[in-house]
Amino acid sequence: MKTLFGLLLGLGLPAAATAAGYGYVEKPEPPPVEPDDTCVSVPSDAAVTAGVYPYYANTPEEMLPFRGVEPVYRYWTTRLPFLGPGRDYPPPTDLKSLKVGLLSPASYGPEGERGQRTRKGVLLAFEEANAARQAGELPFEIFEREDAPQWGSAANIAVEFKDHDVLAFLGTIDGDATHVALRVALKIETYMINTSDPDPTLTETQIPWLTRIWPDDRQQCFRLADLIVRKHGCTRIAIFRESSRPGRVGVMHFANYIRRLGHPPIQHLFFKPGDQNIGPQIAALQAAEPDAILFYGQPGDVGRFARQFRQAGIKAKFFGFDRLQEDAFRENAGDAAEGTIITYFWDPNRPDPKWVEFKEKYRKRWGETPDAYAAYGYDGAKLLIEAINHAGPNRFLIRDYLAGLDEWDGVTGHMVFDGRWDNIVPISIAELKGGQWHFQPAPPITKLDHQKLTQR
Amino acid sequence: MNTPKNRNRRPEWLAGIFLTVALAAPAALQAEPVVKDGDLPMPLIERFENFGAKDGIPTHKVHAVYKTRDGHLWIGTWDGLCVREADGKFKRYGPEDGLSHKMVLCITEDPTTGDLWVATMRGLNKFSGGKFTQYTQTNSGLPNNVVYGCDVLDDMVVVATAAGAGILNLKTGQWRIFDHTNSLMHEPWCYAVKGAKDLIYWGIWGAGVLEYDFKKNTWKEYRDPDRDFHYDLVPDDGLINDITSWLSWEDGILWQNTYFGFTRYDGKKFKTWVQDQSPLLSNFTQIVWPHRRVAWIGMDKGVSVTDGEVWVNYEVGTDGEGIRTIHRPGAQPEKTVMNTALANRFVLGIYVDDEEAWFATSDGLSRGVYANPNPYKRLPGIAAAP
Repeated sequence: MKTLFGLLLGLGLPAAATAAGYGYVEKPEPPPVEPDDTCVSVPSDAAVTAGVYPYYANTPEEMLPFRGVEPVYRYWTTRLPFLGPGRDYPPPTDLKSLKVGLLSPASYGPEGERGQRTRKGVLLAFEEANAARQAGELPFEIFEREDAPQWGSAANIAVEFKDHDVLAFLGTIDGDATHVALRVALKIETYMINTSDPDPTLTETQIPWLTRIWPDDRQQCFRLADLIVRKHGCTRIAIFRESSRPGRVGVMHFANYIRRLGHPPIQHLFFKPGDQNIGPQIAALQAAEPDAILFYGQPGDVGRFARQFRQAGIKAKFFGFDRLQEDAFRENAGDAAEGTIITYFWDPNRPDPKWVEFKEKYRKRWGETPDAYAAYGYDGAKLLIEAINHAGPNRFLIRDYLAGLDEWDGVTGHMVFDGRWDNIVPISIAELKGGQWHFQPAPPITKLDHQKLTQR
Repeated sequence: MNTPKNRNRRPEWLAGIFLTVALAAPAALQAEPVVKDGDLPMPLIERFENFGAKDGIPTHKVHAVYKTRDGHLWIGTWDGLCVREADGKFKRYGPEDGLSHKMVLCITEDPTTGDLWVATMRGLNKFSGGKFTQYTQTNSGLPNNVVYGCDVLDDMVVVATAAGAGILNLKTGQWRIFDHTNSLMHEPWCYAVKGAKDLIYWGIWGAGVLEYDFKKNTWKEYRDPDRDFHYDLVPDDGLINDITSWLSWEDGILWQNTYFGFTRYDGKKFKTWVQDQSPLLSNFTQIVWPHRRVAWIGMDKGVSVTDGEVWVNYEVGTDGEGIRTIHRPGAQPEKTVMNTALANRFVLGIYVDDEEAWFATSDGLSRGVYANPNPYKRLPGIAAAP
């Protein structure tokens, strides 16, 4: 028996039979971790830290679901490898350019203007890259397509990308479109860099063909929950959000986070894009007497509603997501916008040389100041260019390069990618005072455990 | 359709010899032993035969494999639909022959007419009488051109597309479309479909599995009770995850693939498996083909075969060798090194019947040759195929 036991061990087979009967080696107890109660802390639950990457997008422990209970299985504590073939496929011999797909939202739709700003950032990066190509190097070529409003359009576009042999593609803002394109990306084995979809569920599909560099709504949600409950001491919190899929998935984590902090939402009310008459919602809020209202929706809508709330005598403090930084919110809200606090990615006025240089280049090329969409579009394109330059025209090697990144520096700042290939860099905040946004520095970036990363 | 066929049955005395020799073999580790499968609820594969470019397969990647009732083997590849001809070579059909797109994702047969239904990345196709008829979202009621799955049930062709579920009534030619506006879907992202007598199961991306009773026009939802993708809180409490990558149904049992593990549902109880805590090779499960209440699961690390209790895994070793491991409850795993292996461990499609098993992989096609040429013949207690 000893011989057999040793033989099995030598083969790497599990040694101990458990009650379940299949005999698996028990995982060692993880080391204890010092507790830390800051908003962007590594969770102190020792089991949570057993993985290579921060768990649950680095959500603070007190906001984690079922904390204190060890689930039967945790995902994304390590990254899923891609185990298919392709890395040794010979490079195509007839290439005239290095094609890259760009999936943009419909220019006439609600995300159209943001998509155009993303596009400008992307185009600028590729123009720079092509200008820097040496003799004999193939130029980059962008294969552009705009999404259409009907569901599933992006899936057809992703197939079109394959038909045109793009090496990878960029896109997009709309969570629905990105989801369906991502599923196709798995089938066509073509990597996608997402630069602006805030949907927290996007990267939770376990498809190893996606990197998202845009910090998503989950990270904004725990920053907002921390801000509203712990920093401002609000206890009667209402959610007022767009009745749509982005609205639903955008605030779902916030609702859970404040509940776990002991203050579940006292109201969760909806509006439709473009609504003018929100009398019933105002009445409900007046009756509930919230001390904080979290908005989620298009900035123009939210601005209009904020003004109506103040006119109705609602005194709750206003909070919102990054989009409220756009001018439409202030324009429609007027004085009602004063004091609003939002999450944002960084201070757009910061003196960081990379950021300043990018702003200048962008202004020179497009005659306008870049925003987050333009900047993340630029960074996404730069990252993809870097991957193609490194890997050559092989989709699988491009995938390996991108999926293997743990950290990266762009004009938007330092990025840290977790087990889902999601940028989990901490979120900053801004407050509207005197008609101007005042940005605060983001909390310090949680460092990845490089010892664990090395040991992968 | 999982209709078993018993063509070319071998004499039963041959099976007896196999069993006798197998029982005499050492159990734990052997180099290419005589296999012991008499007590297993599934056939053991003793060797793999692999097919690729030399056999006329036009590309590395094979998405789907299907054997029709007339014995023809069809494969759906990255670059066309192929059929294996009498000389063993594969003949290709592509867009130039009328196929709506070269990337074929799923193949099924109408058991009544013998027509082949072919799902592609741009449209659904009927192959009948040597001709293709295309169904796209612009010339028919197909919900979306990206068709991940299709099946034939009675007079219906049912499809799962990137933007909705569809039913084509073959008698009337009318389509019914289901999405988030008229069903229980939160989002209309459908990735698998399977007919099940009076029911149709759709695998939904983010909404688990939907059961549609087409006679009563009612829906039922199966979800992961955790409602969170970062963990599985409790085993066997429902689907392992709400993101269904594939599903199938056979003889009252629903099997669900996800990239988070695997689920079995027998109408009363759920059973879930994840890697490292069960013999399931990987959480990244891409396909399941049930046959005689045994699931043949294709994933990124090979193939797991299970009836829910006993498991047999087929992996590809670092030197290309095959590795077969038998897991019996309460016993140490039995690992065998095989001289042949799957063409590739990344398994995308499976077809299994009483005679053989076929595997569509990312780098070619494999045939699994059973150790016992008629494995079900001498196993009393195994349910008859439906």
